[in-house]
Amino acid sequence: MDTNVAVAGKKKQTNGYVKGYAILIALVIASWAVFKIITPHNFGSPSQMLSYFQASLMASIGAIGFYFVMVMGMFDFSIGANIMLSAIVGCKLAVTFGWGYAGIIIGSIVCGAIVGLLNGIFYVKLHIPSMIVTTGLALIYEALASYIAGGVEQTLPSNLRIFGKLQGAIPLAIVAFIVAYVFLNYTKIGTYTYAIGSNEGVTKNMGINVNKYKVLAFIISGAFFGIEAILTISYGSSMVAQTGMASMSRNFIPTMGCFFGLAFKKYGMPLPAIIIGEFVINIIFYGFIALGAPTAIQDLITGLALLIIITLTTKVRKGEIVK
Amino acid sequence: MSEKEVRLQVRNISKTFGITKALKDVSFDLYKGEIHALIGENGSGKSTLTNMLTGIYSMETGKFILDGEEVHPKDQVDANDHGISIIVQEQGTLDGLTVAENIFLGHEQRFIKGIIRNTGAMNKAANDLLKKYGFERIKANRMVDDYNFEDRKLVEIVKATYFEPKVVVVDETTTALSQEGREELYKHMRRIRDYGGTVIFISHDLDEVLNMSDTITILRDGDYIDTVDAKDVTSDDLKRLMVGREVTGNYYRSDYGEKVSDEVVLSAKNVSVPGLIDDINLDLHKGEILGIGGLSESGMHEVGKALFGASYDRTGEVVLGDGTHINDIPTAIRHSIAYTSKDRDNESVVMNQSIGDNITLPSLGKLTAFGPFISDRKKNAFANKYAKEISVKMVNINQFVSKLSGGNKQKVVLARWIGADSDILILDSPTRGIDIKVKQDIYQLMDSMRKQGKSVLMISEELMELIGMCDNILIMKDGKINGEVKRDPSVTENDLIAKMV
Repeated sequence: MDTNVAVAGKKKQTNGYVKGYAILIALVIASWAVFKIITPHNFGSPSQMLSYFQASLMASIGAIGFYFVMVMGMFDFSIGANIMLSAIVGCKLAVTFGWGYAGIIIGSIVCGAIVGLLNGIFYVKLHIPSMIVTTGLALIYEALASYIAGGVEQTLPSNLRIFGKLQGAIPLAIVAFIVAYVFLNYTKIGTYTYAIGSNEGVTKNMGINVNKYKVLAFIISGAFFGIEAILTISYGSSMVAQTGMASMSRNFIPTMGCFFGLAFKKYGMPLPAIIIGEFVINIIFYGFIALGAPTAIQDLITGLALLIIITLTTKVRKGEIVK
Repeated sequence: MSEKEVRLQVRNISKTFGITKALKDVSFDLYKGEIHALIGENGSGKSTLTNMLTGIYSMETGKFILDGEEVHPKDQVDANDHGISIIVQEQGTLDGLTVAENIFLGHEQRFIKGIIRNTGAMNKAANDLLKKYGFERIKANRMVDDYNFEDRKLVEIVKATYFEPKVVVVDETTTALSQEGREELYKHMRRIRDYGGTVIFISHDLDEVLNMSDTITILRDGDYIDTVDAKDVTSDDLKRLMVGREVTGNYYRSDYGEKVSDEVVLSAKNVSVPGLIDDINLDLHKGEILGIGGLSESGMHEVGKALFGASYDRTGEVVLGDGTHINDIPTAIRHSIAYTSKDRDNESVVMNQSIGDNITLPSLGKLTAFGPFISDRKKNAFANKYAKEISVKMVNINQFVSKLSGGNKQKVVLARWIGADSDILILDSPTRGIDIKVKQDIYQLMDSMRKQGKSVLMISEELMELIGMCDNILIMKDGKINGEVKRDPSVTENDLIAKMV
């Protein structure tokens, strides 16, 4: 049975499988080459590339979970707030309650999943667009994080920061990737996710509880942001509870990665596209840092570069309406 | 056939939508091993009835008794579990899923152990089914998006019938299919009948109904009218039963041998659209009804778009009698060209707007009070005038188009272009999915427009209406014009088919 499953999984990918990888790898090489030529000495050595990749892994994991939500056509503006709250809760449990690794791992993932559950329930029950619901809830999550943190920066001691190193981050990322891959390709959840994204009405008529699967998508997404939170606080060693929507700035990178996933869905390889896409985004970011370009210029060029990449990769059919 | 066994009893079914009584106390029986047609005009309640049977709409009063047991399907999967399935008119497969996932959507439990689905086993099961149906070229593990509309319909046929259901509803599916696809569907309808299943066949094409079915039940305005044996009736009998009176007057045009004016109002010169149409040349004359026929994929639907300036990457010229070149939609509309798409819901009407808004849309420029400001009074008067002129069935012009039946939507579209006083009408499948009474209205309208010197280009998959209405018919094949048939009483469908395939 296992070989059957593996073969089928491979076959499911449509003919563009190789093409998708080719485009993504070309993007990696192109973005690397551009900065390597401009600033050859402080950018793009193999060890530097590895550290860019490590930094990109954090957002990749969140984006992989978020993919379930985006495919269904929903959105989430509480990503940053979730990461912040989950990291703070995990850190509190690990340090203040003395639970160690169990605290940071379980605490962050469960907290992330609960945030997802709340997003899902409020969205389904209130019948308001997900963008608005999650924006409102983000403010609440921020306030909650600030309350739990008590206005103090939460620091994870160095003996609990294995996930901040490559040898800790990679296994965690691999596990997360496999879980998402299995969910997407080998469970009902994956099929129904695409079905709801394609035509909610028809899916409902098939006897599928659409709301239940929407909430589930938010829970999966939330739990994956919980994992991102673990990596984020382990990598950066501490987390400050920001308020006033400041957490929104963390939304951008996972969301962009998710767009890569959607753009490459047609090649049958959304999850690898998210991981490589995040890597490309990070190469560009670090390239600008190596250049020493002012932040405003960095943002300007990054924004434009991303628009160009997505435009080139998402070929809209003629006459198709995009909203 | 004396000892026919009852399969499904429809008992006292009623259903209301707001103030509309869609079904009024309908009762009749369906038997094992029969193709039972359900006919009636738009809004007669056919689809409402079958949608309740298949769990798409909820039940109100009355009951369905299947093989002696009362059934209340709560959704399509539940209906399937009772042995009832449906093939719908529009696309019923979902993008983003594989063929196998579509076939087993809602029924994947048999492939699941714990929470993990054995995709290999599911694909194999689907491939076996596709092979059994003779659709080997469709592969279970491919995305359904990779296939065209016809092939996706075949996938739906498999999905709806692989479990040998007791009752299969075929709801106006044939209008969306080419001849080839229809034959495939007919084959499976007969197969279902042969194993003792019951097919409920909804179609507006009365000849098809008479050819295919054993029994015919007629509904009118939500009332049950009669159930008749197909071999005992003619299509005229059915028309009378459907409409409730003799269908009098002309259906198609009755004139022959009238000379068409020499004045060319629109001509296409070497028009091509990559991958769709190739080197199309045609002249539309003043007062002419020019038909374009062919198989669904022949490119004929693209010709309408190309002439209206709505095609992408079109080459060649579309020139009006006065020398104006039509390269975009605004120019086409400014020069009095109207276009109605085959895809009425997506390309012709604005669903979530009122009838009034839909009718006045291209004419708003004429309905201003002063400056750029639109006069409500003028707008309403305009919409009312043309909605009434073409007798749209409605409460008032503020009613949303999404609430109207297919035939009425088409009337709104026509009212729009009559209001805009268009001289050239490009009508793509104008009577698709429309019942005979509205069809007759539309034919009469085309005829009277022709007499007023307006020119009509009718693209249609219904050969009879092309033969009945057109002065000249161009037949397309593989993107090219493959032949021409002049108006003549001796023309038959076979003359056209010979040039189509």
